Formats: sequence, structure tokens, C-alpha cells
Amino acid sequence: MLAEPHSEQVGVEPLLELDTVSRVYGTGDATVYALRDVSLRIMPGDFVSIVGPSGSGKSTMLGLLGCLDIPTSGTIIVGGKTVTGLDDAERTEVRGRTIGFVFQQFHLIPHLDAVGNVETALLYRGLSRAERRLRAMNALESVGLGLRQDHRPVQLSGGEQQRVALARALVTEPKILLADEPTGALDSQNAEKVMELLTNLQSPERAVVIVTHAADVADAAYRKVSMRDGRIVSDVTRVR
Amino acid sequence: MKTARDLLRVAVTGLYARKVRTLLLLLGPMIGVAAIIAAVGLTDSAKGDLKAKVNQLGTNLIEVAASSSFGSKDPTLPEDVIPRAENVLTLKSVAQIRELSNIVVTPYNEATDKYEAVPIPVLASDTRLPSVLEVKLISGRWLNGFDDSTVTRSAVIGIGLARQFSYLPGEVRTIELDGIRYGVVGVLSEVELEPSFDNAVFISFPSAKADFVTTAKESDKVLPNKLYVRSVVGAEKITAEALRVAINLGGQDELTTDIKSEALQLAAQSDQQIKLIVVSMGILASIVGGVGIANVMSISVIQRSAEIGIRRALGHTRSIIASQFLLEALFIGLLGGICGVVLGILSIFVGATIAGWVFVLAPWLIPAGIALAMVISVIAGLYPSVRAARLEPLETLRLG
Repeated sequence: MLAEPHSEQVGVEPLLELDTVSRVYGTGDATVYALRDVSLRIMPGDFVSIVGPSGSGKSTMLGLLGCLDIPTSGTIIVGGKTVTGLDDAERTEVRGRTIGFVFQQFHLIPHLDAVGNVETALLYRGLSRAERRLRAMNALESVGLGLRQDHRPVQLSGGEQQRVALARALVTEPKILLADEPTGALDSQNAEKVMELLTNLQSPERAVVIVTHAADVADAAYRKVSMRDGRIVSDVTRVR
Repeated sequence: MKTARDLLRVAVTGLYARKVRTLLLLLGPMIGVAAIIAAVGLTDSAKGDLKAKVNQLGTNLIEVAASSSFGSKDPTLPEDVIPRAENVLTLKSVAQIRELSNIVVTPYNEATDKYEAVPIPVLASDTRLPSVLEVKLISGRWLNGFDDSTVTRSAVIGIGLARQFSYLPGEVRTIELDGIRYGVVGVLSEVELEPSFDNAVFISFPSAKADFVTTAKESDKVLPNKLYVRSVVGAEKITAEALRVAINLGGQDELTTDIKSEALQLAAQSDQQIKLIVVSMGILASIVGGVGIANVMSISVIQRSAEIGIRRALGHTRSIIASQFLLEALFIGLLGGICGVVLGILSIFVGATIAGWVFVLAPWLIPAGIALAMVISVIAGLYPSVRAARLEPLETLRLG
């Protein structure tokens, strides 16, 4: 059974909340509004796609949702905690605890094997080496790569690399999974596999957010947030 | 604690995974440290045999000699010179001698014609001389209290004289001093700090007084004219200074002091200028190596910006990233330092062997060399580390 989004339910805290957030680059005549007074709530169980043409502000949105950037104005609340105003180290801590990332270019560390890459997400968390290895192996198995643990990124196909990246994002058990064009560098078969994994990752406690300009990827999500010129132009939830 | 362990593991893994780059980084501090160690070691080894001799002989032997003001002959020290000298607190031991003049020494009476031409020093000595000089006897014994109290005609001869007169060790022989027959009771081994003793004959003060009093000016006493003093090590100069005052007690007699090992020590000193130049070049090489580390690591930070970005996204803080790079630099310094020390020691060994020198290496150079390499590497790694930490993940990850 697929979980329903809880956006309208009372008493459920949003996982992530953007409140009239703006992000401005440059100053004076060169001022560019990448985001203009955007408000958005990501609820537990959400499966959201953020779509829009290039320059619509979706990458900026991703940066802000992932606590990689701070807004020029407005408030961002992650898991009930206001992250705007936190210093870099505190934001990094919130990010590491709450959010998992998947990128178009995979961004695996080339000199580490698959399990090593997944383990990187568990470093500096006070875990023993054995525990880290066990959790990384479990994550790799959950994406179907248990047997390729000792392969380095160059020895893996694009689809496999993205699945390793997915395992790395999952291994910390994040409440929010942020995927940036997760299928952008993959052929259709691998793209399908990755989308299937992403779809299955969504759960009543977790939200999956995909930033994309690919229509088929966007359509896989239950909730579709469309952007244009730094604003949200539509936010449609379809019930399955 | 666990964080430190994780940092360590990641640093080692990173360095091991990029072996060629790591080796290139190692070269700088390695060559620098090797140059410094080799420079110091080789300049020291060049004088290694002399240094060893200085260590063996000790640096604290002082000779005190009576010297008179202009004109007067045969200057002597006061009769109670020993108790006076012993007032000096830094004095460890003291012995007195008197150089007797114009005594013809021959192995046996009939050889007078042959040996008369060669003057052989005859010294009246007290019983403590060998222990103060720290010299052993090749055979027999030194003059003792029995010789003193009974005025026995006993003599000890130097090893050079024993060879010249073909005295075999342990052989019972006599020696003629101005025709007076003395029994040779012992042969003194080589006295490196006082080579003239090797050809000398030693007799007791009472014998000197009994047999050669006419050659000594004093009517009833044979006064010493030289002291040999061992001082506390390191206090040679002040001891010499104090002895002059303590013995003279403000009198008008003059005396000279001579630290016997001073010349040897000077000869054994490494060529400081050459050492300074080569060490400077070594330090320069280390600094250039450090600049190399800063360069390569800066490029590495750019190359690894995506890795840094993803680590930051995964929750690694800026300080973790900076520590990571600093730790890599520290390891490079440690490894480079160790390799440099090994290379340096090898160079000294090869150099000393080829030149026939004695291998000398001050042990403190080993930790100092490694520490220098580590300090330079960490300083060189500071800038790239800070740059790595300042990278914004959003800029390096090329989103969307």
C-alpha cells in the first residue's frame, strides 16, 4: 500500500517548511531573484517532484531544502528546527541527520569502493568500524548491489553508480531524500530502475523530493510543484 | 575519540589510494631532512676519530706550571701547593711532579757514550700521577708509599723509553741515572695528553732529593714545579682561574695553567662554516619541499572539490574537512621525515665508509629531523586545508 501525503492532516508536523523564502544573487543592477517569496511544506510521506524550466529556481530551491544554502530572507524549518540563523556547523549537523542527497552526477569518491562510498556518510558519527560496515552493506543490498561492494566507481555502470549513491543517501536513515535529476545521466532502463527504487523509498515517515525537468520523472511523483521565474506556479497533489 | 580515529583512517586511506601523488609530496620534506642529517653527520664524521679520542681522554685535565718572572731560573711551586690547590671546590684530583735537569739516563753503565747525546727527562713524581692522568701501567707498578718512605731507588719508565731500551714487559731490569742504578718497577702506557711522558723516567721525590739534590737549587727540599689537576667536567676554565689564585695566594710568583685537551678539542671541532652552509641548504630544501606540498595540495583541493562538496552534503563539517587535509599533510611530514632520516643516515654511512671516517650522528637529529618535516608539512598544508574547508558544497556539486 502506498502512503498518502499528510499535508492536510492536523497535528502532523511538516518535515521541512519554507516560509516566504527569497534568495537573491548579486547586488545593485545585477540583482537576480532566484527565488521570490516562496512558501512550501514537505510533509512526512510526501513524494514530491519540483519541476520547471532551467532558470526557474529549482536548483536554488534544492540548495535551500538541503540546508546547503541560506535564504536572503524568510525562514526555513527542518524537523521543527529553524535552520536559518544557525551557523554552518549546526546546519551541517542538521543536514547530516535529516537529509540524504542523490545527484545527477552521482558524485561518488573515485578512490573508494562501493561500500567505502556508502560508509563515508556514516563517518564522524561515533560508530564502530564494524557497525558502519554492516549498515553500509545492508544499504547496498537494499539497492541490489550487495555483491559489488568492493567495486570502485569506474568499475560500475552509471545505473549502478547511482544506486550506490542512493545507498549512501539511505544509510543514515534520513527523513528527507533530496534527488537532483537522479536519472539525468542514465539510459532509460537504468532510469526506470532508479525511479522504482526511489518510489519504494517513500514511506509514511519519510519524504522523497525530486528536482527534475523530465516530465516522466515528475509524473511518477504524487505531488508536483511547478516553478517559473523563482515562484511556485502550481502545487498539485494527485491521489492514487 | 572515535572522530579522531575516523579522521586518521580516512587520511591514511586517501594517501594510500593516491600513491604517486603521495610519493611526490614526500620527496620535498624527505630530501630536505636527508640533506640536513647528511650535512651534520658527514661534517661530524670527518672528525669522528678525534671526537672519540676527546671523549676517551676527557676534557678536564689541567696542567699548572710554575713560571717565573723575567730572569730567575728553575721556578718552583710552593711546598704546600697540593693543600692549597685542594681548596678549589671544582678540583677532583691533583698530582705533582718536578722536572729534574741534566741527568744522563742510560740502560746500563757501559752505554753512556751511546745515550749521553739524547736528553731523557727525569721526573720526580708523587704516587697519584697515573690516576690523575687516567693512564694505566703496561707492566709492573707505579711508585708507592713504600718507595717514598724507604727512599728505594725505584723508577717507572714511559712506554717509548721501554721500546728504545728494548725492555720487555715484566722483565727485571735496571736503569742508570747519572750512573746511579735504579730498578725499573713498571712501564707506563701511552700518555696521549702529555706525549713527553712516553720517554720519561719517573722516580719518587725522596729519591730525587737523596740522589740529585745537588742539581736542585733548594738545600733541603725538592719542590714541585708542575701540577696535574682533574676538574669537575665543564668547570675547566673556572678551575684553572681559581687554581692560579689559590696557589699563589697573592704572591709574586707566577704560574701558568693549561687545559690539556683544549687543542685536541679544537682540532676535533667540526667545520662549523661548512656545516652551517649545508644545513642552511637543507632547510631551504625543506622549505621548497613545503612550498611543493602547498602547491600540490592546493591543486588537490581543486581536483577533489566534488569530493569535498559531497562530504559536506553528507554532514561533514568544515572543521572535519580542514582536519582531514591537515592530517594528510602531517602524515606526509611524518613519512617524509622518516624517509629523510633513513636516507640521511645511509648517506653518512656511505660517505664515511668511502672516506674512511668514523660514523658519527648526534641522536637528537633523528627526532629533530622528523619534527622539522612535520612542522613544515603542516604549515604548508594550512592554506590548502583552509581553502578546502571554505568550499561551498553548492558551488562544487553542480546541481541541476
